[in-house]
Amino acid sequence: MNSSDGTSGSNSTNSSNSTNSTNSTNSGNSSNSSNSSTSSTSNTNSTNSTSDGNAPNNRKRVVTEASTPVLEPTVNVDLTSNLENTIQAIKAVLMEDGDFIIRRFRVFGRYDAAVFYYSSMVDQAMINSSIVKPLMRPPGTFEGTSIEPDELYDALINQIIYHSDVHPEPSLSSIVEGLLRGNTTVIVDGLDEGLVISTSKIDKRAVDQPATEQVIRGPREGFIELLDTNISLIRYRLQTPELRINTIEVGRRSRSRVAICFMDGITNVDLVKEVKQRIAKIDIDAVLDSGYLEQFIEDNHYSPFPQVQYTERPDKVVANLLEGRVAILVNGSPLALVVPTVFSQFYQTAEDYTERFVMMSAVRLARLIALVFSLVFPSLYVSIISFNPELIPTEFAVAVAGGRSGVPFPAVIEVLIIEISMEVLREATIRLPQQIGGALSIVGVLVIGQAAVSAGFASPITVVIIAMTTIGSFATPAYNAALSLRLLRFPLIILAGVFGLYGVVIGLILIANHLLSLNSFGVPYLTPWVPGDLKGMKDLLIRGPLYRMGERPSFLYPEDKKRTGKDIVAKMDEEPYKVLDPVEVEKRRSQSDAKQQQPSDNDN
Amino acid sequence: MQSNSNRQITTIESAAVLVSTIIGVGVLPLPLFAVRAGDAGAPLVTLLGMLVGFVGLALIALLGMRFPNKNIIQYSEDIIGKWLAALGSICIIGFFAVLTSLTAREFGEVVVTSVLKETPLEVTVIVMLLLAAVSTRNNVITFSYIHLFYFPFLLLPAILIVALSLKNADLINLQPVWGNNPSHMLPGVLTVAALFQGSFVLTLVIPAMRNPKKAMKASLLGMLIAGGLYISIVIAAVGVFGAEEIKNLLWPTLELAKATSLPANILERLDAAFLAVWVTAVFTTLFSSYYLTLQALSTLSRLKDHNMLSFFLLPLVFIMAVMPQNIISMYEIIAFVGRIGLSLTIGYPALLFIIALIRGKRGDRSNGKQVEKAS
Repeated sequence: MNSSDGTSGSNSTNSSNSTNSTNSTNSGNSSNSSNSSTSSTSNTNSTNSTSDGNAPNNRKRVVTEASTPVLEPTVNVDLTSNLENTIQAIKAVLMEDGDFIIRRFRVFGRYDAAVFYYSSMVDQAMINSSIVKPLMRPPGTFEGTSIEPDELYDALINQIIYHSDVHPEPSLSSIVEGLLRGNTTVIVDGLDEGLVISTSKIDKRAVDQPATEQVIRGPREGFIELLDTNISLIRYRLQTPELRINTIEVGRRSRSRVAICFMDGITNVDLVKEVKQRIAKIDIDAVLDSGYLEQFIEDNHYSPFPQVQYTERPDKVVANLLEGRVAILVNGSPLALVVPTVFSQFYQTAEDYTERFVMMSAVRLARLIALVFSLVFPSLYVSIISFNPELIPTEFAVAVAGGRSGVPFPAVIEVLIIEISMEVLREATIRLPQQIGGALSIVGVLVIGQAAVSAGFASPITVVIIAMTTIGSFATPAYNAALSLRLLRFPLIILAGVFGLYGVVIGLILIANHLLSLNSFGVPYLTPWVPGDLKGMKDLLIRGPLYRMGERPSFLYPEDKKRTGKDIVAKMDEEPYKVLDPVEVEKRRSQSDAKQQQPSDNDN
Repeated sequence: MQSNSNRQITTIESAAVLVSTIIGVGVLPLPLFAVRAGDAGAPLVTLLGMLVGFVGLALIALLGMRFPNKNIIQYSEDIIGKWLAALGSICIIGFFAVLTSLTAREFGEVVVTSVLKETPLEVTVIVMLLLAAVSTRNNVITFSYIHLFYFPFLLLPAILIVALSLKNADLINLQPVWGNNPSHMLPGVLTVAALFQGSFVLTLVIPAMRNPKKAMKASLLGMLIAGGLYISIVIAAVGVFGAEEIKNLLWPTLELAKATSLPANILERLDAAFLAVWVTAVFTTLFSSYYLTLQALSTLSRLKDHNMLSFFLLPLVFIMAVMPQNIISMYEIIAFVGRIGLSLTIGYPALLFIIALIRGKRGDRSNGKQVEKAS
C-alpha cells in the first residue's frame, strides 16, 4: 500500500464521490484499513477500502485483507480522458500477455477508442456483435446525426451498447480487476470513465453425477467448478427470496470468489456473522479449493476429526440450508462446505431422506455398524487373539489357532503389516489411471491376499478381518470422517497389542473424550446424542418419518423453528380414505345411482 | 470457577454424573463387603448403606440449592469464615486425592490379577491416571457430557450380568433378609456408604446447572439408579453364590461375570469383556474424583486455569496409589479411608448446613432477602 499513498491522498475526494452504493461496509473495510493504517490518515483509509471494493460486479461483496501486490499501485489511480495514457497505464500493469488483446478502433468513425480483453476468458462473438459492431457502425437511428462529445457518454451507455451488464468505472484498479475476471473494457478518448462490460465465458465441464456421493434414488446433479453454475443449481431448488448469497473475495493472488449461502429468516443471524468473520480473517495467497477454507474456519485445527462437512450435492446443500446451516462455496471448487457440523452428519446420506424411513433407518444402522467396525475391528481381533482367546467359542478358537500356526509374527505385527499394505494398495488404486485401476485392485486383493496366506505370512482370518474393516470404511459416506477413523485405527491396534482389551477401551475412551470436547461453531460435536436432545434423536441412529420431524434441529438455534404445518402429524395419522375398496365403490355407485334416479324421476 | 452465564447442565446430565461417578470399581468387591456384614442380609446392608450415602448427597444438594452459584469451597468461606473453611477444603482436597489414587490402585489390581497378568501394576495404574489427567483438561460442561456419554455403557453390562445370572440364583440364599446377626451390620453399612462418596462431585455440578433447584431431584434420581444397581448386583451375587461362598471371593461381581454366559454361545466367557467395558465405569469414577480434587484446589488457590495443575498432581496421586503393599493392606486402607471420608462427606456438609441455617447465610440472592432471613 505504501507506494499508492501519494495518489490515494490526492484523489481521495474524487473516488469517494463515485463510490458505489452496493459496497457493503463490512469487516472487509476494517481489515483493509488496518492493513494500511501504518502509513495513512484515517480519511485515506476509508477511501482506500471503498475503492478497493468498487468492483465491476454489481454484487454485494467484501474485499478481505488480501490484496494483490501488483495491483496495489493501481488502487485509486483514476483514468484520464486521454486514451493513450490509459492504454499505457493498463499495459504497464498487464504487460504483454499473449492472450491480452487491445483492439483500437474508432467510435462512429470519429472518436478514438480501444477494447481490452483477455481472449482466453471472453465470448469473442459477443464482443464482436454487441460491442464492437454497434460502436463502429451505430444503428439506424443515429444515421446521419453526429454525436457531440458531451452527448457521447450518454449515447454509448443508453443507446449503443447491446449489453445488459455495463458499468462505467473510473479507476484503473477496477478496470484491471474486471479484465482479470474476463470482462471487456471499452475506453473512448475523451471520456474519463471506462466501460466494463461483462463478457466472461470460461469453459466448464457439464453438470455431472456427483462422483463421490452417488445415490440410487435422488437427484443426479453434482456441483462443478464454476461458482455461478453452482449457485444456479442451488437457486433453482430454492425458489424463494429468502435464499441469501453473499460474496466475499479471498486470496491475495487468486482473488477467489467465496459465496456464503444461508436462508434469511431461518439461519441464525449470529452464525452467519461468525462465518463471515472467520472467512474475512483468512489471509492467504490463493484459495484453490474449499478445503483451503475449511482448514481456516474449523474450530480445532489439531483434531483428527473433520469439523466441517463438504458435499458435492446441491440437494444436500439445500437440505442443510433449510435446517439452518450455512453453506460456503468457492469459485473453482466442486465441493461446498456446510457449517456447523455434528458427527452424525458423517454417516447420513442424501438417500436416507428420499427412500422410505423404515428401510433407510435399518440401512443407516448398518452404516453405523460399518463405521464402528472400521475403527475397532482389527484392534478387537488383536486383543482377543493375543490376550483373551477364552472369549471366543472353543471351536472357533481352535480354527483361529490352526490358521495362525504357521505365522511367525505376533498378531499385532501381522495385523499392522496387512493393514499398512492395505493402505498402500488403497492409495495406489486412487492414483492409478482409471483403465488399469480396477484390474489392479482385484489383482491386489485376491492374489496378494491369497499369496500372503499360502506363504505363511498372514493367517486367513487376519485377511478376512482386514478386508471387512476396509469394506466397512468404504461404507462410511463421508470420506473425511472415514479417513480420520482409518488413521485412529492404528494407535488402537498398537494399544491392543500392548494392553489387550483394556488398551482398546482406554483408546476408545480417549477418542470419545476428545469427541465430547470438540465443537463446531459452539455446537457440541456429538449433538444430539450428547447433550441429549430427544427431538434430535429422531434423526440420529434411525431416520424418523419426515412428517414427524417437524422441527429444525434445535441445536442450530434457527430463527424459524417449525418445518412442517401445525397439524401435519394429525393429518397423516388419519385413516386414509379407501377409494377403491369394493365396499366403498359399491357405496358410491349406489349413491350416484340414487342421485341419477332422482333427477330422472323428476323428469318423468 | 464456572461463570454463571454458562448454565447448561440439565437434571438428567447431573443425574448421569452422579450415577457414573458412584458406579465404579467399588462394585467388584461390593457383595463381599455387604456379605461380611450381614450374611444373607447383604441386600439390606446395601440398602442401608445407600440411605446413609444419600444423607450426604442430600446435604450437598441442599447446600448447593442454598448457594446456587458456588461450590463447597466457595460457600464454606461464607459460612464458617475463610480460615476454617480453608482447613475443611484442604481436607476435602486431600481426601479426594487419596480416593483417586485408591480407585486407580484398586482397578490396577483387578486388571493385573485377572487380565494382564504379566503387566506391572504400576503401568496399569499410571495408564488409568494419565487417562483421567488428560481428560480433566476440560470445562465442567464437557465434564458432564463425558459422564452422560458413558452412562449407558455403565448400566448395560451390569444389567446384562444381573439379568443373565438370575437364572442360576436360588432364593434360599437370600433368606433371612435381615441376615443372621443384624447387630453386626453397622460397619458394613458404613463401608457400603463409603462407596457412594464420589457423589460429592455434585457440588461442582450445581453451579453450572441450568436449574439448581432441581439438584435434589437429580440426586434422588442418581441415587435411585446407582443404588438400585448396587442392590441388584448384591442380590444376584448372593443369590447365585450364597453368603458363605462369597466370603471366599475377592471380587464376587467379577466371578458373577465369569459364571454367566451369553445365550447362543456368542462369547464363551464374559468376564474379560465385562472388565473391558468396566474400564469406562472406573474411568468416570476416577475422572470425577480427580476433577473434584483439581477444581477444589484451583478454587482454593484462586487459580484461573486448572489445566496446568492436572499434571502436577499426577505424580503425587501416583505415589499414593502405589504405596499400599498388597491387595489386603489396600483394602484395609480403603475401609479406613472410607470411614474417615464419611465424616468428611457427611459430617462436614452437615456442619456447614446447620451453621448456614443458624447464621441465615444464603447464596447470591438479593441482599434484602438475606437480611430478612437473618433478622
